[in-house]
Amino acid sequence: MKPLRIVIADDEDLARSLVSEYLKDSLDLEIVAECRNGFEAVKAVTDLKPDLLLLDIQMPRLDGFEVLDLVGRETNVIFITAYDQYAIRAFDVHAVDYLLKPFSAERLTEALDRARKKIDRGESTAPAALAADARPPGTKPDRILIRDGGDVHVLPMVKVDYVEAQDDYVCYRVEGKRYLKQQTLADVETALDSARFVRIHRSYILNIDRLAKLELYAKDSHSAILRDGTRLPVSRSGYSRLNAMIG
Amino acid sequence: MHPILENRQRLAIYLMAWMPIGAIFTVILKRGMSASWPEVILVAVPMAFLYAFMCLSAWYVCLAAPMTQSVLRLVTTLSAASLLSSGAWFALGEVLVLSIEPWVDLPGLSDRYETQFPAIFLNGVMLFLLAAAAHYLLITLDRSRIVEKRSLELQVLAREAELKALRAQIDPHFLFNSLNSISALTVSDPQGARSMCLLLADFLRTSLALGAKQQIPVAEELRLVESFLSIEKIRYGKRLSVTRSVDPECDACLVPPLLIQPLVENAIRHGIAPLVEGGAVRLDVHREGQAIEILLENPVDPFGHAAQAGAGLGLENVRLRLAKLFSGQAHVNVSRSEGQFQVRLRFPCIKLGEIQ
Repeated sequence: MKPLRIVIADDEDLARSLVSEYLKDSLDLEIVAECRNGFEAVKAVTDLKPDLLLLDIQMPRLDGFEVLDLVGRETNVIFITAYDQYAIRAFDVHAVDYLLKPFSAERLTEALDRARKKIDRGESTAPAALAADARPPGTKPDRILIRDGGDVHVLPMVKVDYVEAQDDYVCYRVEGKRYLKQQTLADVETALDSARFVRIHRSYILNIDRLAKLELYAKDSHSAILRDGTRLPVSRSGYSRLNAMIG
Repeated sequence: MHPILENRQRLAIYLMAWMPIGAIFTVILKRGMSASWPEVILVAVPMAFLYAFMCLSAWYVCLAAPMTQSVLRLVTTLSAASLLSSGAWFALGEVLVLSIEPWVDLPGLSDRYETQFPAIFLNGVMLFLLAAAAHYLLITLDRSRIVEKRSLELQVLAREAELKALRAQIDPHFLFNSLNSISALTVSDPQGARSMCLLLADFLRTSLALGAKQQIPVAEELRLVESFLSIEKIRYGKRLSVTRSVDPECDACLVPPLLIQPLVENAIRHGIAPLVEGGAVRLDVHREGQAIEILLENPVDPFGHAAQAGAGLGLENVRLRLAKLFSGQAHVNVSRSEGQFQVRLRFPCIKLGEIQ
């Protein structure tokens, strides 16, 4: 049997050493990297393409959900947490395995066996829905993460001007720069704070703070003029949503 | 207990209310009996006084026929009671008149009194019904006051429980992560595992004991902070360092328990933990004249999450508790600049035995 290639990500030295100690006698697996923060984890997964990621939720730079969001759905993951009620509920809902600190060697082995079966069946987890459910109710993410090769761009939500759909990607416009991410505009819409962002068109979501004025474009359609002069199309339903927001 | 008899103030008001009633009754009786003022006062005033007390019995009627009962039952009970008491009143008046007749040499007084039966009887019924209405009002008033008082008490209790819960709360993250560290140490460093166990037990014991108190000297709170920090240092290793300067002059100043420790906990959880290389928490406790100032500073990740809901809640808790203890004389300042987060608490230094 091919050994399982594992990446461990936890910011506490003792916590990582515990996992490697538990696993040191297992012959059918190999720890290919130990990461101390979210960035390292994203880089390790991108570079090493492990079979399985043991991922702590609370980590510097990027938390476990952000890591999963960035590495995409090709990775299998077992989450590790001390105590995150909402996250645990989300894991149960999405059938994602997790370990509660402190955990036993037997519990770890059991999780690994289950992961191996899942890998053999070719299953993986949907990071976006999981992350959304793991957040405490009523809160929205305050930043957007975009992977650019080995780099990760962290974009604060307030700096996003608008989001545009482009084929299989969406394009975030932030301070004059464009950032592409493989995502649907519908996913973006649910993830964004609805008090600030509004879907003005099939292909556009606008940060309401950037709106300078609305112009009548044709008989049934409008144009949104942004503060920097950018002109975006506004559909009929987008126009009524905008009006409802501006009041 | 009777709502009027048990309360002197109410009894005084009740009797005062009877004065104009007595006056009106006197005038009515004077006209009807065409008697002189001394005559009629001799009869009417004692009668009014007597009936004032008789009408207190309306309370029992009100109890026997509460407002919640059917109208029919209410009407029958009240009319029966009022007719009965009015009749009794008239009879007692008759006894009074007969007994004073030979003394005061007023012939025909009792005959003239008897001619007034319809007026007196009607008066008696009306007054009794009035008294019953007043009693119903009092009963309702007392009841609503009790309900209000109880709900206030409940609010106070809930608030106390809430504060207690906030005080006694031990962060589950901290607890489970510490246990995980112990689990990791058992094989690699058994001595270390044991000492971490002892540190954790010490911290839990102390925070439980302190949490039950109202106020403690700063020195005790700082001991708890030290015990907390020694555990966190094992967890975070080189990533956590602490610089502290504590003026011994502050040792005896009183603070609500678990005031500083949760702030240190926040500083580590929201400041140090999200930083890859960690950083230093600075704790500075010193005197500013009559006041004590506690300064806590920690680095924050400038690219980290903007909102830290947990930290906000913890600070709000601190603000509330200080405001409650030092009413208006406590200041809580929070500032964030250049990757540093700072909390500054300032409140009067009151020592044990100085509490007013």
